[in-house]
Amino acid sequence: MKDKARNVVITIGFIVIFMILFLANILKQDQEISITERRKLAQFPEITLKKVINGEASKGIEKYTVDQFVVRDTFRAIKSFFSINILRQKDNNGMFEKNGAIYKMEYPLKEENVNKSVDKIKEIYEKYLQEMKAYYAIIPDKNYYLKEDEHLKIDYNRLKQIMSEKLEHMQYIDIWDDLELNDYYRTDLHWRQENLQKVVKKIQTSMQNENMEEQNYIKNNIGEFYGTYYGQLGVNVNPDEMYILTNETIENCKTYNYEKGEIGTIYDKSNSKDKYDIYLSGATPLIYIENPNAKEQKELLIFRDSYGSSLAPLLVQNYQKITLIDLRYMSSTLLDDYIEFKNQDVLFLYSTLVLNQNVLK
Amino acid sequence: MVFTSITFLFYFLPITLVIYYMVPNKLKNIILLIASLLFYFYGEPKYVWLMISSIIITYIFGILIDKYKKQSKIFLILSIVTIVGILMYFKYINFIIENINLIISNKIHFIYIALPIGISFYIFQMVSYLIDVYKGEAKVQKNILKVAMYISLFPQLIAGPIVRYTTIEEQIEKRNYTIEKFSLGVRRFIIGLGKKVLIADVLGELNTVVLGSNEISVLYYWLYGISGMLQIYFDFSGYSDMAIGLGKMLGFEFLENFNYPYIATSIKDFWRRWHISLSTWFRDYVYIPLGGNKVSNIKWFRNLLIVWILTGVWHGAAWNFVIWGLYFGILLIIEKIFLGKILKKAPKTLTRIYTLLIVMISFIIFNGDSVTSILQNIGGLFGTNNIPIASKESIYYLKSYFIIILISIIGSTPILKNIASTNKKIDKFINCIEPIFLLFILIISTSYIIDGSFSPFLYFRF
Repeated sequence: MKDKARNVVITIGFIVIFMILFLANILKQDQEISITERRKLAQFPEITLKKVINGEASKGIEKYTVDQFVVRDTFRAIKSFFSINILRQKDNNGMFEKNGAIYKMEYPLKEENVNKSVDKIKEIYEKYLQEMKAYYAIIPDKNYYLKEDEHLKIDYNRLKQIMSEKLEHMQYIDIWDDLELNDYYRTDLHWRQENLQKVVKKIQTSMQNENMEEQNYIKNNIGEFYGTYYGQLGVNVNPDEMYILTNETIENCKTYNYEKGEIGTIYDKSNSKDKYDIYLSGATPLIYIENPNAKEQKELLIFRDSYGSSLAPLLVQNYQKITLIDLRYMSSTLLDDYIEFKNQDVLFLYSTLVLNQNVLK
Repeated sequence: MVFTSITFLFYFLPITLVIYYMVPNKLKNIILLIASLLFYFYGEPKYVWLMISSIIITYIFGILIDKYKKQSKIFLILSIVTIVGILMYFKYINFIIENINLIISNKIHFIYIALPIGISFYIFQMVSYLIDVYKGEAKVQKNILKVAMYISLFPQLIAGPIVRYTTIEEQIEKRNYTIEKFSLGVRRFIIGLGKKVLIADVLGELNTVVLGSNEISVLYYWLYGISGMLQIYFDFSGYSDMAIGLGKMLGFEFLENFNYPYIATSIKDFWRRWHISLSTWFRDYVYIPLGGNKVSNIKWFRNLLIVWILTGVWHGAAWNFVIWGLYFGILLIIEKIFLGKILKKAPKTLTRIYTLLIVMISFIIFNGDSVTSILQNIGGLFGTNNIPIASKESIYYLKSYFIIILISIIGSTPILKNIASTNKKIDKFINCIEPIFLLFILIISTSYIIDGSFSPFLYFRF
């Protein structure tokens, strides 16, 4: 290409591209949420003289223009593709794809955070549960089962050691050998409800639920599931299939969501943006399940994260009532106001992902 | 506002360029001034008054220096004291208080003050203007709007290069606009954008990971050292490229600020290639007025040390910058006394390794937050404290960032440029694919800027 022609191409190309993107961004309708990132997108900020002077307005505009950029997800996918396939980076924002599944590196082990999480559990135990049967189980993130040495993994043994040293008065239920990689969604961090039979059995046995009967479930396919990681990494992998397990007991159960003040069912089919929310309406501080067909008057308290939502329905046969408490969304100082501690079974069920953060209130 | 923001790239820049090229030539300076003040106000609304006040002071003193020749020296001194006083107050006051407090018992309270963006750059431009007017090397500018435009010109306002008034004196009055110049500007700008976003910022991530690691090893410290020096080069030279490119798009010609500093064969050579606008500023306005090298050896070394301590302090108000400046000052003296002669005779590979090692250590000092951490980071390169050679983590990050480090090493040398200039076929091929390559860099850089806002909440409740 001759110099003159090249100069014309570059100049016109530059003007056209910048004007197209400028106009496209001006004309594009703002979106409220990003489904792929699972967060609210910044909106055009309120402009006041005070906010202009203290710089809040320009910061708001910066966030707004980035969040609302035209075909934002496509650009994020391009970045992901470039960093992983061209620059051959091992991860993109800590995420990577392996054999059609997406993973997020949870690294390094933040001992300070683990200690704080365990201290919170211990504090609750000492304040409310000393006379009660209390158990704890740790749910490994799916990286644990990934048979490769290429990416970084936390020191799982150290995490377990910290837990066992501090929670010596509680009984540990080891479910790590009862899971495998296929028990987790490929595009999401969570485990698959339909694959939790061994985990359920281990928990029931450990908690001495002697009257348990083998439960039969109907496995219902509720369609394709594009999990959290799918949108975050922005690479093309096949979606998961999602199933829910139902039977008469589960179908007869009622739930009560304290935050919403609503009575509902175990499976919430109200079409949430996150399909995993079908299990007990997703993230919520406090919810209980009542089983009218329970043979015993036993109750169970589960201190849990989102993994607990899909597991709890499978434990309901043994209990008249299961209360699920998510300490990420409610303070432990409020427990007294909502729960009467009276010899219930208690299970602390937390994933390594949550324990490695300092998020329990 | 920064060049690597969506607001600048896809709102400010297109709007400014469209208006700039639509208005007649006589209004272009006004448009540029308004755009530049908006550019600064957007990023630093609190301190736009400071820049405007400094411009007014510079303008008035310029007139006084020119008009009252007999008192011009007094006016020059007064103006420098005022202008540099502003810089001293806003940049160094708390550093001074901190050090005074070390030796007195009645502690002085710190002053709650933020460093105004770009102050070190625009104050140095003001000083150069006033001295050049005093020395008769520049004509005084009687139009305050043109002084204001020179000082606040947005392409170079917040991160340089330090543009001398004499460089663009004529361009302020009359500029040439050609497609060739505009397209050269576009190329420089997009290459600079890529250097900053795709290399410097990515290496910055690596540096952050290394600094936060508990698994220290010799490899880790080398990763920190190498990625640190590459990051700072691509960051700063990328910004300069963008400034020069934008200047060209607007019809200006700024001087080069970098010339492949990492192929330097001595520290002296390095400083001829690194942040050229700053080193020549100190040479012309401090070193030569002090007598330069045309004095006794003792005074010569004193001059060097003064210049290099000032160079260090210019970069930041902290002791590590003083040490950094002194480090270069002493090394330059050593090179002048005897090492320079040895380096001239030594093989270039060896002299380049020497320079790179010295520069790498200098940036460890530059980035250090305490003497202890600086010593630890330098010692780590040589395996002090019996640290392991490598850890699993360091190998992971080496593999993960290997290609970007390789690209940045090649990109910091003129290898590709030399190959293209000696092989016509390659040169022709590069010419053909250049527009596509630039488009590619622009799209990928935009995708990185957008992904920079990536902050998902796993447990977000819709």
